[in-house]
Amino acid sequence: MSYITVTDLGKTFTVRKKREKGGPGREKTLVRALSQVSFQVEKGELVGCIGPNGAGKSTTVKILSGILVPDEGSATVDGRVPWKERREHVRRIGVVFGQRTQLWWDVPIIDSFRLLKEIYLVPGPAFEKRLSELTEALELGGLLRTPLRLMSLGQRMRAELCGSLLHSPELLFLDEPTIGLDAPSKLALRDFLRRENREKGTTILLTTHDMEDIAALCPRVMVLGHGRKLYDGALTGLLSRYDTLRIAHVRYADGARPPALPPDCALSREGDTWQILYHPAQTPTAGLLTLLQSAGAIQELTLQGQNVDHLIAAMYEEMAL
Amino acid sequence: MRAYAAAFSMRLKMELQYRAAALGGILCQIFFGLVLIALYRALYASRPQTLPIGSVVTYVWINQAFFRMLLSWDTDLLDKLRTGAIAYDLCRPVSLYGYYYARIAAMKLVGSLLRAVPMLLFAILLPEGWRVGPPVSAGALAAAFAGLGLGLACVTAMECVTMGITMRTIDHRGVMALLNLLMVTFSGNLLPLTLFPDSWQRVITLLPYAQLLDAPIRLYTGERPLSAAPGILGLQALWTLALAALGLWIWRHNLRRITIQGG
Repeated sequence: MSYITVTDLGKTFTVRKKREKGGPGREKTLVRALSQVSFQVEKGELVGCIGPNGAGKSTTVKILSGILVPDEGSATVDGRVPWKERREHVRRIGVVFGQRTQLWWDVPIIDSFRLLKEIYLVPGPAFEKRLSELTEALELGGLLRTPLRLMSLGQRMRAELCGSLLHSPELLFLDEPTIGLDAPSKLALRDFLRRENREKGTTILLTTHDMEDIAALCPRVMVLGHGRKLYDGALTGLLSRYDTLRIAHVRYADGARPPALPPDCALSREGDTWQILYHPAQTPTAGLLTLLQSAGAIQELTLQGQNVDHLIAAMYEEMAL
Repeated sequence: MRAYAAAFSMRLKMELQYRAAALGGILCQIFFGLVLIALYRALYASRPQTLPIGSVVTYVWINQAFFRMLLSWDTDLLDKLRTGAIAYDLCRPVSLYGYYYARIAAMKLVGSLLRAVPMLLFAILLPEGWRVGPPVSAGALAAAFAGLGLGLACVTAMECVTMGITMRTIDHRGVMALLNLLMVTFSGNLLPLTLFPDSWQRVITLLPYAQLLDAPIRLYTGERPLSAAPGILGLQALWTLALAALGLWIWRHNLRRITIQGG
């Protein structure tokens, strides 16, 4: 049996809305947050989970971390049912909710960490060792005595992550951990997660909207939409289906303009640089280059693929999300 | 147990950070204490009552000094319920009820001690007829302390029931407004319970609200003899257990059908 086994998981929420035309009372609508989601995760895997807002990512994380009780289906983590054996289960996991805080607002973060030490019954020496390891990796050394409310978002996020890892969980759920972080913080965080996964064998399930997170970290990606699982496999496999477009930027030495191009190519101009969108399946790159060279001496030429975000947007559109 | 003790001491530490709030509270409660005492002195001047005025004055001061024990709530928890940050507390390997019971008890203990100690010191220094009186005996003082401890345990259990109801209504204001009214009336904060008609007293001293401060104050002033202490403390303990059981049941039930606000 796999480390995490999820079978036909379903969860419905009741949302009460105000009636449109005044009137008393409220309308009740049922929102199906998850329906018939199944997957398995092996120990030591690093799995990314993407999908548009409201796709059911966070609900999945909350069910697997024992917070929510699903309406249908089953799930086990390391042989335990999270919401039934909650305390035994949560002792072994760490959770980061990117948009919430677990540390105490008005007290220095080291005090929050010490409380977590007591809650998870981490022995003293093990705690000190882990704390120094984490403060170094997350660059928190100078901040331990600072109250949370005086920290920047990036510092806070790193402190939150440190708090979630103090008890050395064997399974880590990260719900949008890079939300609002600047580029260096994001890179440091990714680097850290990769190391946790490799060196400690921590299983990580990550939800995000940042495709760079996925590309940098997750060999395997799951796509959720409207509460259903739409894709489960390698990121490259997912993208290649939508990655049909290339972009060429060309600048001629003598200000020449490109010749007439095949009908699948779209030409546009930015200053003295020409941009050509083309489909390599129809117009092979070598053929396009020969054509472009025929118009004059090329001073500069760049070729690029599409931005991952565009691909994902195209995918969501095709999946009618 | 370590986890709950840690939550308790953490909350103590945090509460100590709000010293300015405590100072404001002290001034406010002293003001209320003086106004109430002036009122009762005027009442006694026109129509003497059977209960000695000194006993009423002591009642008012102790009740005002421990106001924070009666009326204070864990605003952190309320915020967490409203915003959904409670999700984090749900993924801790502890009993959520026990964790919050410890926190709320710590908050009420520090909150009231920070105010009660300076206020009572102030009230001792006042002139005769205005000052807080001494306990009738050393035994009465000891019994009053025990009663105060049980009162804290009882009010914390009561608060947890309120929080359990709040978990369902999400916004606490409606429930709280109603419960606070019951609290100030039946705890003796608005009018000492000793001044209610005897027939009323027979009923309201049995209510949980009377177990918080009224019971220990009556032991302190000697209004109830020391021989009645076991019965009084027993009733306090009984209410504490009953309210804790009710609270635990509500919390357990809530957790099974919880939804997390805010995505």
